Amino acid sequence: MDFVVLSLIMLAIGIYGLLTKRDLLKVFVSVELIATAATLNFVMLTPSSNGLGQAFLVLAFATDTAVGALVLALLLIAHKKYGTSDVAEIIKNRTRKKRRRE
Amino acid sequence: MILEFLAVGIVISACLAIFLDEAVYSVVALTGTFMLTALLYALSGALFAAVFQFAMGVGTLAILFLSGEMLSKKPPKIPKERILSLIAVGVLLSLPILFLSISSQKSAIEISFEDALWHLRAGDVILQGLVVLIVSVGITIFLYERKEKGEK
Repeated sequence: MDFVVLSLIMLAIGIYGLLTKRDLLKVFVSVELIATAATLNFVMLTPSSNGLGQAFLVLAFATDTAVGALVLALLLIAHKKYGTSDVAEIIKNRTRKKRRRE
Repeated sequence: MILEFLAVGIVISACLAIFLDEAVYSVVALTGTFMLTALLYALSGALFAAVFQFAMGVGTLAILFLSGEMLSKKPPKIPKERILSLIAVGVLLSLPILFLSISSQKSAIEISFEDALWHLRAGDVILQGLVVLIVSVGITIFLYERKEKGEK
């Protein structure tokens, strides 16, 4: 139960960052924090003699890394195309481009 | 007691990672979170988890540091008061963990890491390997087609 509190606090910080920060890199950092909070439970809720939690952690890391690679690729594409990594700026630029086309 | 300190450190560095404005500093704080988590795993007896967490932390640091450096402007100087207030927020947030006192749990079930990974979760491991293979083949095809178009 104790480690669940640590995990919950990290999850709360991650969700706060996800909802309030507009920089894509910060969004990625928030996603990483949420993933760490989730994987913490795998290890801490199973005793060290039981390897199942660690096995789950390894599998979760693989998924987490794939998500990270995808977000970073999106970040680089967005920065290359719009010249900024600010989500609000990107949306503004997109709507401007759409209006020009119309 | 060490575990409690580590937990407080994790929460503080997580706070710094989210609330610091500059991307590079934020990435460094995130790495601190990863390293402290790896240490927490190692001290709790989960050595494999610690090694994987450490490796992932180092990889993420390298990639994020490069992209953070590339994408962000010159970092402004952060006022000391801001850092101190962020650390105070982290300590305040970690108070529940201190009061609840962290302890590892024990159970009668004993499954080794190898058993768990290769016997119980073998399907998942094989499927993940398949996904990685498909992605790498896809990237190779994409790059090959791009090269062909470039030559034409």
